[in-house]
Amino acid sequence: MTERQGHLVERPEYVRPALGRALTGDAARPLSLAARLADTDPVRKFTVLLAAIVIWEVYTRGAQVPELIFPSFDETIAALWRGLVEYDLAQQIWSSLKVLAIGYAIGLAIGAVLSFIAVSSRFGGDILGTLTAMLNPLPAIALLPLALIWFGLGAKSLIFVLLHSIVWPVALNTHTGFMSVPEPLRMVGRNYGLRNVRYVAKILIPAAFPSILAGLKLGWAFAWRTLIASELVFGAVAESGGLGWFIFASRNELDIPGAFAGLLTVILIGFLVENVIFRNIETRTVVRWGMQS
Amino acid sequence: MGNAIVNKAATNAVHAGLLLRPEFERTLLDARTIGQVERPLSFIERMWNVNGVRKAAVVLGFVVLWEAYTRIAGVPPLLFPSFSQTCVAILDAFSDHRMLSKIAFTFSSLLIGYAVGLAVAAVLVFLASISRVWGDILVTATAMFNPLPAIAILPLAMLWFGLGMFSLVFVLVHSVLWAVALNTYVGFRGVSQTQRMVGANYGLRGVPFAARILVPAALATILSGMKIGWAFAWRTLIGAELVFGATARGGGLGWHIFENSELLRTPQVFAGLFIIILIGVVVENVIFRNVETRTVQRWGMQR
Repeated sequence: MTERQGHLVERPEYVRPALGRALTGDAARPLSLAARLADTDPVRKFTVLLAAIVIWEVYTRGAQVPELIFPSFDETIAALWRGLVEYDLAQQIWSSLKVLAIGYAIGLAIGAVLSFIAVSSRFGGDILGTLTAMLNPLPAIALLPLALIWFGLGAKSLIFVLLHSIVWPVALNTHTGFMSVPEPLRMVGRNYGLRNVRYVAKILIPAAFPSILAGLKLGWAFAWRTLIASELVFGAVAESGGLGWFIFASRNELDIPGAFAGLLTVILIGFLVENVIFRNIETRTVVRWGMQS
Repeated sequence: MGNAIVNKAATNAVHAGLLLRPEFERTLLDARTIGQVERPLSFIERMWNVNGVRKAAVVLGFVVLWEAYTRIAGVPPLLFPSFSQTCVAILDAFSDHRMLSKIAFTFSSLLIGYAVGLAVAAVLVFLASISRVWGDILVTATAMFNPLPAIAILPLAMLWFGLGMFSLVFVLVHSVLWAVALNTYVGFRGVSQTQRMVGANYGLRGVPFAARILVPAALATILSGMKIGWAFAWRTLIGAELVFGATARGGGLGWHIFENSELLRTPQVFAGLFIIILIGVVVENVIFRNVETRTVQRWGMQR
């Protein structure tokens, strides 16, 4: 009676008959080999790559695209082989990489000195901040004509331009990284009596490493683009050309497969540096230290 | 009574090998002997504490150094023009409308390339975020094409599309597309499951889901991708114009630099560099900065 007054409805009681064996089918089924393969990342990516190559080959052969406009994959590979064996492609790669390595090393050194000055005093920070704000948006390649006037043709001008493309992103990122190192870490350093270079090397650099690494990667990306662009234009006049020049010269001789082979080399080197070298540094430092996933 | 306890404690402490310091009481110090506790900063010190003033001082210092060096050392303007000569060259460049039309040409090709690049990136990333195959295609394509400098395909673009705006735009799209697509895709994948579920709970699917959940949640990464894309595009454009501007219609800022350096009019080259810096600073420190303060900073995703 009380339930009625509270407007509650009482459900009738019931007894369920015992259920038979549940028929849910396979609760766990081993995946087929194809399904398991399709779940592995490298296999899927490799398939995409393979499909792209097949489409490329079929399209160029099927549509009879002239080699002068868009060479097929096998022509490109043949041109790459020819370039490596008959022409001096290997030497061009070497000269490009040498200039890049020299420029990168000097750029890193200058960037390190600049950011050291910037963290050691407020005025130094202002100088670096103003310089980077002004010079970072200036494309390094725009300085090439001036560099040619100042240093003449040759590796020196290239290195000057490369320096400009590396120093600012590296210094900017390092400085921002240093500025955002949390106070407790700084205090730990001071507690150990670390000062100056040792303080920077043992506290600031490890703590700001994700940001520094981002700067290094950006510096590499700018330097690589600047190098190819400068070579594309002025490689002929510099001592031994370089990859950019190889592309431009092949294109001028209407050896389009050669130009594609040059592009393929550029892609391979870039891929190697970004996905092997930098990726390795990342997994060994910031990922292992749990600062980045 | 209290003393007795202290003494007891002291003897205990001594027994335990501890030393108890004697108690003492300080007399009040006379405040007047301390001297100034609080002193107003001098005008110069207060000015020096203002960020803008210090930065302006740095810029002024550089300008003075530059002018003094070129005047005293007698550097020929052919090699390194002084600041005043550069200023004169800038005024000179703006005296007729040619400079403005060069800037307009550079800017219009940049804007078209950037907009098309963003649109293509948006489509690719949208496809990639709804199907795994497209995700694989995007990741593989980005890994391959991102390290390829856009300027390297300029010779081929000229072959395919001829000289002119279309080749420039093609190269610009290539330089913007991969950086933006990569960052956006990484940003989308990093959106937390909670936020995704909120979206699913509201019944959002497809484009509305991407626009209302994924994009706002990943905006910090997307913006950094857009900044990198802009930086690449700006560098590629100046590089491309530097070389092929003469053949394209009108030519742009890069061509202005190249032309004048060939004619050994170095002050004009400096003027061109100055304008390029100015545009770069405005885009990076005004436009992008503003977008950041209005979105990710206000939403508390970035400091």
